Amino acid sequence: MTATKEMPTPAGATPPASARVSPPKPRRRGGFGERLTPYLLILPALVAVLVLLGWPTIQMLLISLRRLDLRELVTGKMVWIGLANYTDTLSDPEFWSVTIRTILFTAALVAATLVVALLIAVLMRHLNPVIRICVQVSLVLAWAVPVIATTTVFQWIFDQQYGILNKTLDKLGFHSFIGYSWFSTGGSTLTVIGLLVLWQAVPFVAFTLYAGLIGVPREQYEAAGIDGAGPFQTFRAVSWPAIRPILTMVTFLSVLWDFNMFGQVWAIRQGGPDGQSTTLAILQYLKGIAGSHFGSAAAIATIMLVLLLAVTARYVQLLVRTKDGEIA
Amino acid sequence: MKRWLKLVAGAAAITLATAGCAGSGGGDNASGSGGTGTGTLTVWLMTGSAPESLTGALNKEFEAAHAGVKVDYQIQQWNGIQQKLTTALAGDNPPDVIEVGNTQTPAFAADSVLEDLTSSVNDLNGAQWLAGLKASGEYDGKTYGVPFYAANREVLYRKDMFAAAGITAPPTSNAEWLADITKLKAKFGSDPQFQPLYLPGQYWYSLLSFIWDNGGDIAKADGKSFKSTLDSAGSKAGLEFYKQLVDTSGTTAPKDNDEANPQQAGIYGGGKVAMMIGTPGEVATAAKTDPSIAGKTGAFAIPGKTAGQPAPVFLGGSNLVVPINSKNKDLAKAYLKLLSGDKYMTQMAAAGYVPGTSSDVSALDKDPLGAVMAKASKSGRAVPTSPKWGEVESGQNPLKDMLTAYLTGKKTVDQATADANAALDKIIGG
Amino acid sequence: MKKSLTQRVTLSVVGLLVALVFFFPTYWMFTTSLKTPGDVLSPKYDLIPTSATLSNFASALTKPGFVTYLGNSLIVTLGAVIAALVVGVLAAIPLARFRFRGRKGFLLLILMAQLAPLSALFIPMYLLMRDLGLLNTLPSLLLVYFATSLPFTVWMLYGFVNGIPYDLEEAAMIDGCSRTGAFRRVTLPLLGPGLVTTSVFSFITAWNEFLFALVFMRDQSKQTLPVWLSSFRTAFSVDWGGVMAASVVYAIPALVFFLIVQRKLVSGMTAGAVKG
Repeated sequence: MTATKEMPTPAGATPPASARVSPPKPRRRGGFGERLTPYLLILPALVAVLVLLGWPTIQMLLISLRRLDLRELVTGKMVWIGLANYTDTLSDPEFWSVTIRTILFTAALVAATLVVALLIAVLMRHLNPVIRICVQVSLVLAWAVPVIATTTVFQWIFDQQYGILNKTLDKLGFHSFIGYSWFSTGGSTLTVIGLLVLWQAVPFVAFTLYAGLIGVPREQYEAAGIDGAGPFQTFRAVSWPAIRPILTMVTFLSVLWDFNMFGQVWAIRQGGPDGQSTTLAILQYLKGIAGSHFGSAAAIATIMLVLLLAVTARYVQLLVRTKDGEIA
Repeated sequence: MKRWLKLVAGAAAITLATAGCAGSGGGDNASGSGGTGTGTLTVWLMTGSAPESLTGALNKEFEAAHAGVKVDYQIQQWNGIQQKLTTALAGDNPPDVIEVGNTQTPAFAADSVLEDLTSSVNDLNGAQWLAGLKASGEYDGKTYGVPFYAANREVLYRKDMFAAAGITAPPTSNAEWLADITKLKAKFGSDPQFQPLYLPGQYWYSLLSFIWDNGGDIAKADGKSFKSTLDSAGSKAGLEFYKQLVDTSGTTAPKDNDEANPQQAGIYGGGKVAMMIGTPGEVATAAKTDPSIAGKTGAFAIPGKTAGQPAPVFLGGSNLVVPINSKNKDLAKAYLKLLSGDKYMTQMAAAGYVPGTSSDVSALDKDPLGAVMAKASKSGRAVPTSPKWGEVESGQNPLKDMLTAYLTGKKTVDQATADANAALDKIIGG
Repeated sequence: MKKSLTQRVTLSVVGLLVALVFFFPTYWMFTTSLKTPGDVLSPKYDLIPTSATLSNFASALTKPGFVTYLGNSLIVTLGAVIAALVVGVLAAIPLARFRFRGRKGFLLLILMAQLAPLSALFIPMYLLMRDLGLLNTLPSLLLVYFATSLPFTVWMLYGFVNGIPYDLEEAAMIDGCSRTGAFRRVTLPLLGPGLVTTSVFSFITAWNEFLFALVFMRDQSKQTLPVWLSSFRTAFSVDWGGVMAASVVYAIPALVFFLIVQRKLVSGMTAGAVKG
């Protein structure tokens, strides 16, 4: 099954142990050339990240200190205005309500994604093979269908008059859903967007967690069963430690993706009605592209970056330390 | 593993092959754009505007008249056009002629990224420019955009249904219109799917007609600054009439969406709708569902309060502009001269548009639906020429939120207009 | 643990429900693509279609330029995937196999590189490509897609390489292999599932991207499929049947890619993710 399981080393099968299986020894026999090797190997990646991501990010930081409207963009004139973009943004009460909304929405979305995905992962473990394949195929389909296509389908499903959802609810006896508008309040609009994102994000997380779960040798479960542990206790004692590092990773990724998400929110209602489903990414777009104030848009993006750093700092620390622990 | 390797090898080969092609293509472009008399003239028009037969002939004629010049003609999508234009204008080698939506033009003009065409107005048939579009191409007393074409809305109706309901002549006032809706409902109302008038909640272009008809407006210009006037008595009366139409008709159109989602022409094509407010071009879309519908469709101008005085209409359309960084401004002006001449403007009219630089609408008058549109276009009006108006349309449109909130009963007319007024002021005010 | 019959039935029912929920939007996309314009906007209840037409597909596929756009999409996507894999593997090796100064810093950089919102980087990236003279060329897109998926690829592959015991390489070296030879013969083959898993992510990133493709490419002949998909919406109308048919067509290459790599996918995730 897994790369490690194909190995003769028994320890390879257990994740926590395998981490300690291969402590790469510092190679001392090499001279200058040998010491240079790792740098040569990471060089392409380093250059790519620095030039293609790092440079634009630094540019973004610099732009946030400039007035950059269409006029300046076209003439190439530099107009430095210090922190004005930041003070303008931070003194706008709308910015704060949008920030709080974005944080809450991201938190709810990440939590929902993780819970649903974990339940599905556990479920997959206990299903008979035929139904498991059904579940897996539908997950793969949901994952592989391009985001643009999914978003269109969701808009269509939730259509007030011709959407299949309202028609079905009506058939089931909930007649008040005839012509029900899912997009007349910010809350229900965000809920639909949340469902859309869940549908797209859960497959990846579920597969990853499932992979982690089946990495745990069956004997460990059996041992727990013999000890008389209930299903919940077994999960806590056996499964949980095995998937915790994976959870850390997917949480980190989900926070990144959901916090910065733009396409889905914009496609559904452009952040409406009355700006009630506007998130920071939408605000950034409204300022930047719609309003052609690229300076203030860059300021908002920078604030987003800082917020994200603050939220994920612990995870980053944790991730780097786990990795480093293997080496020390 | 092996399969995977094959994939890699194949794709690598493709990548290498095309990297070469793309590189050489880029080189051509760069070298071709330098000269003034010769080179490539890049023209961007929007999808669905000028028909292919027109652009084909136009480009051929232009190339024939300018030896050594090649026209690089590209059709752009509406989706993402704001980003596309922004970045294209910022380049040092922008397109030379661009079609820009009339509501986007003031923003570009105000940021001085367009070539001042004031001195060329006379060359470009300036005397005949369509008034409603002309204003959108002007900023601070100078002309930056040449009117290209416009379309405006009218009421498209089913002649057969009107006859069956005993309506002999199309309505000419709001009161008659409402009475006819009631008559249609009485005749066909037994069919639960029937709608006398299909009117989606966020159809703000239609709302503008009613607001203007009642003496209201979106905003008032005061020098260079704007102050929104959605809370004026006239604007409120327009909004109230909109609701009256929706309620009298009992339309099942979504209150939280506009005429494009779902596409109203498709629903009209379904045969259960007696009227919709739309452009003549939408009949062709409806005919995709039911080819016979074109023959059954007539048109009348959007009625106003006073009998015989139709409501003003919103002129939607496009201007042609020349970016200030264009390397071929003289060629671009020559191209505009050719396009704005009677020959091609007549073809625009024949394609169903109100021509921007020619008052000759005879080609449009041949079609009864087009004739109604052409007549109404004379009283066509535009949105405020605030450079920030583009932000209203490419961002969050307060007028749409206002309509949904009022029509669904979430807000009273006073509350809805007051909120929208404040939201609009936040964007265009000052 | 033996499960009772009721437990097994309940689990199966729940499983089928989950499958159904995740399958439905795909199903709905497909059935809508088979409807005539009249049926799409029909008030009748049509959960299961009663008639089907291929006309939407015909009009989608005959829309000018489809083949060109498909080709462009494949080039930039596969190009980015392969570039990310190659560079990613190169970087993953020293991270897992060497201890060197700056290693931790590099890891931090890789993680942080994913934080900035891409929509905010689009102006700087446009300017960068302009200055590099790459605008309106497919390599500009390829580079952007490569760059955006690289951090994730490096991170994942690092986990995979780390999961393959170093002892094996050492053994091969004792048998006379060079260091490179040992890596190539022992570790690389075992890395298969890892490469597959990470390639799925880069594939999806690149295949779906709209904004950069729209803005970087001036010539229509250099556009990609997402831009093509958006052309079904015009200023005045949305052709729903057409959009759905186009979406189906657009999803097929992604599905094919999934199918090709699918067998390695779950096993790949096990190995990589657990170490992640």
